[in-house]
Amino acid sequence: MPRAAGDISTETFESLYERAFPRVYAYVASLLRDRSAAEDVTAQAFERAYRKRRAYRPGRGSPEQWVFGIARNAALDELRRRKRHADLHAEPEDAGAPTAEDHAELSLRREVLRAAMAGLDGRERDLVGLKFMGGLSNAEIAHVLATSESNVGTRLHRTITKLREACHERA
Amino acid sequence: MSELDAVIDTQLEAIDEALRSGAVTAPDEAERELQALALALAADAPEADPGFATELGERVRSGFTRPPRLAWLPRPGMPQLAGLGVAASILAAVVVAAALIPAGSDDESAGGSGAAGVQQPAPETSGDSGIQESNRPRSASPSTGEGFAPGRRERAIERTASLTLAAPGNRLDRVADGITTVTERFGGFVLRSSLGTGDEGTSGGSYELRIPETRLQPALLDLAGLAEVRSRSQSGADVTSEVVSAADRLQAARAQRRGLLRRLESADTDAEVDALRAQLDSNAREISGLRSALRGLRLRTDYARVNVQLEATGDGSSFGGGSNEEGLGGALDDALGTLSGSLELTVRALGAAIPLGLLLALGWAAARTARRRRRDAALT
Repeated sequence: MPRAAGDISTETFESLYERAFPRVYAYVASLLRDRSAAEDVTAQAFERAYRKRRAYRPGRGSPEQWVFGIARNAALDELRRRKRHADLHAEPEDAGAPTAEDHAELSLRREVLRAAMAGLDGRERDLVGLKFMGGLSNAEIAHVLATSESNVGTRLHRTITKLREACHERA
Repeated sequence: MSELDAVIDTQLEAIDEALRSGAVTAPDEAERELQALALALAADAPEADPGFATELGERVRSGFTRPPRLAWLPRPGMPQLAGLGVAASILAAVVVAAALIPAGSDDESAGGSGAAGVQQPAPETSGDSGIQESNRPRSASPSTGEGFAPGRRERAIERTASLTLAAPGNRLDRVADGITTVTERFGGFVLRSSLGTGDEGTSGGSYELRIPETRLQPALLDLAGLAEVRSRSQSGADVTSEVVSAADRLQAARAQRRGLLRRLESADTDAEVDALRAQLDSNAREISGLRSALRGLRLRTDYARVNVQLEATGDGSSFGGGSNEEGLGGALDDALGTLSGSLELTVRALGAAIPLGLLLALGWAAARTARRRRRDAALT
């Protein structure tokens, strides 16, 4: 059967996975703050994207944006599920926590940063996740969030300013 | 752009630059601080467990194979719902379109080619005037039931149609024969007809026909196939109130008659009997008049009035110049009729499908927006 324009082939999907996986995982984990749930959601997102790959249309954004959109929806569904079950927001098991070899200053900076991040609300954490964990440009984020690029810029600036102030206070 | 916007843009650009280069490069202190923060955030991005990454990579390469699903089991998700929605809308459109199609359209297939079967003799002409009155009995009654059945027949519509046909002078007789034949084939009758004669034979004529209302459309189609159609028009007048009023009055008169008869049976004096008989006579006249009026009304609604004007064309090469061409012309007219019927059906179907489609699209958009909002609410 001939493929429709924009249809993602199996080979292209593998390549897309290689490119996007670390960033998608980082974004999902930062949003959920639970590594185990992040793994489930990331796997679910890629499987969903694979099954829907024939429905992908380039007019709706790049394949990366498309996968991030799917991952975001899956992560938000997971957050909603948790809310329904009155589950506590679990902190991720800290695989990236400073080791004994880590420099003390770096360790301290990370701690301050994570504490400041914890002070952000869900929408701000979503934005920071897409920008700094997912590595998306403001235009790409605007596409994923279905909003304007200028709106993303404004919100991002406000959020990062808030983060900086929180870091100052904690430092 | 305001000064604040400019500052924001500069700082956002500085952040992007740091993320691109992986270094703090800005000269401004505030921008350097933001760049450092951006780099720290990027560096703090959670990394996946290598075991999980390997396992998921293998699943991607294997195409996320999973146990075969029974083919008849529905898969979860929107595509199936969308498919069901589309199927439902198409079904609804077809049902609505079918409901909008006039019930009489079935009869259209009953009519054959107008040129066929022209075997009856033409109405006789009388003397110089060429006018002959002909009153024929009904050859068929389209509706014999009393009152009105539910649905379309609830309304009593008096339909009239007029048609102007043109044919070469030497063919007018044959067309005239055809008018009579078609009328009788559809259970109608010729109420009046006139044919004018000139030096070169028949020069024109007019026909007043009565055709069962239920078979009007196919009959008109066949009549139009007899010759070139110069003009055509149709109209309908709702006479339901007249029919209902006459029927009610008839019912009341009959009830009155029953009452008078009962009183007559129990009348004691001659004077009383005479008075009642006089009333009964008057009542009988009223009933007779009302029945006649009702019959007239039913005749007007059961039979459509069709006036056909027959005109002679100047040259013999126009429509129906020969019998073969007449057949071809009739066939072309039939084809056009069929085409217009199909077009009508398509327009009706579209008329139903487009609003339904719009409603579905609106519903889909609303559901999508609501789903997005529900998801986003998880972030608050």
